[in-house]
Amino acid sequence: MTPFPRSSSPWRAIARNIEAYAYLAPAAVILAVFWVFPVLLSLFVSFTNWHGGDTLGDVKWVGLENYGMALQDPRFFKTLWNTVNYVLWSVPITIATSLAVALLLNLRIRGVSLFRTAFFLPYVTTWVAISIVWSYFFQQNFGLANYVLDDVLGLGRLKWLNESRGVVEMAATGLGHALGFVPAREALRFENPLLQGPSLALFAIILTSVWRDVGYFMIIFLAGLQGIDRSYYEAASIDGAGPWKRFWSITIPLLSPVTFFVFIIAMIGAFKVFVPVLVMTPEGGPSKSTSTLVYFLYEEGFQAWRLGYASAIAYLLFVIILAMTLLQNRVFGRRVFYQ
Amino acid sequence: MKTSLLAILLAYAVLWLWLLARARRRRSWRTVGHCLAYHGLVIGAAVMILPFYWMVATSLKDFQGANQSPPTWLPLGAHYFVPPPGASAPADKGASDPDDLGNLVEVGLVQDASKLWRETRRKQEILVAPIDRLNEPSARYSVPGSAIRRVRRPEWRNYVEAWNAPAKGNPLRPVTFTRYFQVSIVTAVVTTFGTLLTSILAAYAFAKMEFRGKNVLFYLVLATMMVPGQALLIPDFLILARLPDFTFGMRWLDNYPALIAPWLASVFSIFLLRQFFYGIPDDLWDAAQIDGAGRFRYLWQVVVPLSKPALITAGIFIFLGEWNSLLWPLIVTTSPEMRTLMVGLQTFNEELRGDFNLLMAASTIAVAPVVVLFFILQRFFIEGIARTGIK
Repeated sequence: MTPFPRSSSPWRAIARNIEAYAYLAPAAVILAVFWVFPVLLSLFVSFTNWHGGDTLGDVKWVGLENYGMALQDPRFFKTLWNTVNYVLWSVPITIATSLAVALLLNLRIRGVSLFRTAFFLPYVTTWVAISIVWSYFFQQNFGLANYVLDDVLGLGRLKWLNESRGVVEMAATGLGHALGFVPAREALRFENPLLQGPSLALFAIILTSVWRDVGYFMIIFLAGLQGIDRSYYEAASIDGAGPWKRFWSITIPLLSPVTFFVFIIAMIGAFKVFVPVLVMTPEGGPSKSTSTLVYFLYEEGFQAWRLGYASAIAYLLFVIILAMTLLQNRVFGRRVFYQ
Repeated sequence: MKTSLLAILLAYAVLWLWLLARARRRRSWRTVGHCLAYHGLVIGAAVMILPFYWMVATSLKDFQGANQSPPTWLPLGAHYFVPPPGASAPADKGASDPDDLGNLVEVGLVQDASKLWRETRRKQEILVAPIDRLNEPSARYSVPGSAIRRVRRPEWRNYVEAWNAPAKGNPLRPVTFTRYFQVSIVTAVVTTFGTLLTSILAAYAFAKMEFRGKNVLFYLVLATMMVPGQALLIPDFLILARLPDFTFGMRWLDNYPALIAPWLASVFSIFLLRQFFYGIPDDLWDAAQIDGAGRFRYLWQVVVPLSKPALITAGIFIFLGEWNSLLWPLIVTTSPEMRTLMVGLQTFNEELRGDFNLLMAASTIAVAPVVVLFFILQRFFIEGIARTGIK
C-alpha cells in the first residue's frame, strides 16, 4: 500500500515527514487559525462580559454568569421554542415529501431527468432570492397565497408573515368553529408553546424551506433507492407479496441507513436556520415568533454587540445540537438495518 | 369559455375510464400506477417551477401590476394613453396598436388600480394625471373611460432601475449591482481556487504519503467538521479585528481578506479529493519516478488532470457555498462597497419593502448566473450530492 519504497536512511524518513507536513501546511494553518483556535476563543469569550468595542482592559471574567443569564432569559426560551417548533415541523414534512418524490421518480418512467432537474432547481437557487420571492407570495394584500385562499377558494385572508398565533391553535379554532363547539367570536388559546405550534409566520418560513430542501434530499433518497438490489423485489413478487408489503418489508428497512443520515442532516440544518428568517421577517417576526437561535445569536452578538452573552448562546446551541444528534443516534441507531 | 373547459374535463374522464377498463382486462395496474405517478410529478414540478415564473413575470410588470389584487399573470406592464385635451378620441379598435398612438399622451390612472381594465373602459369618467405628475392633485383631470388606450409590454427598464437603484439611496457612495457582482465574483473565484489548492495538497498527503502522526492528524481534521459554523462567527470576527496588528496593518475586516480567508480550507473537499486520489493506481507514480519526476510535478502533471470530475464537483460546492453565503459577509462588512451580491440583495429588500416589481427584477438578476451554471454543470451537482449520501 505504501506508494514508494521504504528507505533505510533515517534522514530520508525525516525528509519524507517534512515533505508531507509541507503539503498539509496550507490547509492546516487555515483550519487551525479560523476553525480550531476560535472554538477555544469562543469558550473563553463566553466566560467574559465582552461588549463590542471593548479593549482588552475592559473585559472582565464573569464565569458562568452569561450561561445563567441565558437560562433565565425569556427571550432565549422563546427563541428556543421557536427553533424547536421549526425543527419538529420542517424535518418530517421535508423528509416525507422528498421520499415520496424519490419513490415516484424511481419508477423509471420517461422524462425522469426533466423532473429531477425541476425538483432540484430550487435548492441551487440562492436562498436570499427565494426568500424574497416567497415573502412576496405570502404578502397580505397582493400575494398569491391570499389570492388563492380568498378569491379562488373563498376561505378568507390570512396575515401570514404578520400572524403570531400558532398554527395548531388556529387550526383547532377553525375546526372548532366549523364543528360548532367553539363559539363564533372566540378563539382557542393554548399555553404550551409546543402545543400552539409554530406561528403562522414561522410556518410560512417552514413552507419556504421545505420547498427548497425537497430537491436535495430527494437526490440522496434516489441514490439510496437505486442501491437496493432488484432481486429482493423479484423474490418477493414471486412469493406473492403485493406492492404495499414490498414497500414496508423491503424498501423501508433497506433504506434505513439513508433515512437515518438524512434525518440527522435535516435536523442539524434546521437548528441552524437563519437566512429565510432574516430576509422574510427582518425584525424577528410578529412577537418575535420567527426568531430562531441563530437569529438571536446574530441579534445579540452583532446588533446589540453583547459578544460574551452571544458566545454563551452559541455554545448552548452547539450543546443542544450535539445532544439531539446523540439522542437520535441512540433512539434510532438500533433500528437501522445494515446489510 | 365554460363549454371548452367542460369538454376538456369530459375528455379527461373518458380517458381515465378507458385506462381503468384496460387495466381490468389485462389485470395489470402498472400503467394506471404510472399515470398517477405522472400526475403527482407534474403537480410537484409545477409547484417547484411556479415561484420562478412568478419572479420573472413580476419583474416585467409595472408597479401597479405587481401591487394589485387579483394579481395578473402575464409578465407585462401597462401604459395608458389618452388624446391630448381638445382632440377627439380615436376610433376604438380593440387591441391598441403601439405604433398608432400618434398624438396620444401618456397618463397614469389615479383610479384604484385593482379595477379591471374592462370596468375602467365602461366608466363615464376616469381621473387621470400626466405620468410624470401623478402625485400632484392639481394636475388631475377627467376623461371618459372609453377614450383611454392601454398598451402592455414587458417592463425591461425594471432591470435597469433595479441594477442602479442602490446608488440612488446613497448619492455620496454610489454603489450599484455592478459592484455587488464584482465583490461576489472575486470572493467566490478566489475562494474556490484557493480552497482547491489547499485541499489538493492536503488530500494528496493523506492519500499517497506515509508520515508520522498521519492518523492523528486525519482525525483532527475530521473533528473540525463537527464545529458548527455559528460557533465560529464571533471568534473569527474578533480574530479578524485583531489580525491587522500581526500583518503590518493590512486591513482584514470590511475587505476581501475577511470574506475569503476563513473559507480557504474545506474539510469536505479534502475528503472528496482524498477518496478520489486513492483510486489513482500507484503504477503511474512508479512510472513517473522512472522518468525522473518528483512528487510535486507528479501531483500537478498527472494526478490533477486525472481528477477533473472530482475537482469540478468540489469546486462547484465551494463556489456555491461562498456565492450564497449571507451571514458571514453580513457580519464582516459594513460599507456598501464591500457588500456581496447576497448582502446587497438583502439590503435592497429591506429598503424597498413594497416595490415588488423592482425586488423581483433584482432577485432575477441574482438568480440568473447560478441557474445558468446549474444547467451547464448539472451532472456534477447531482453526482456530488448523491455521493455524500453513500458513506
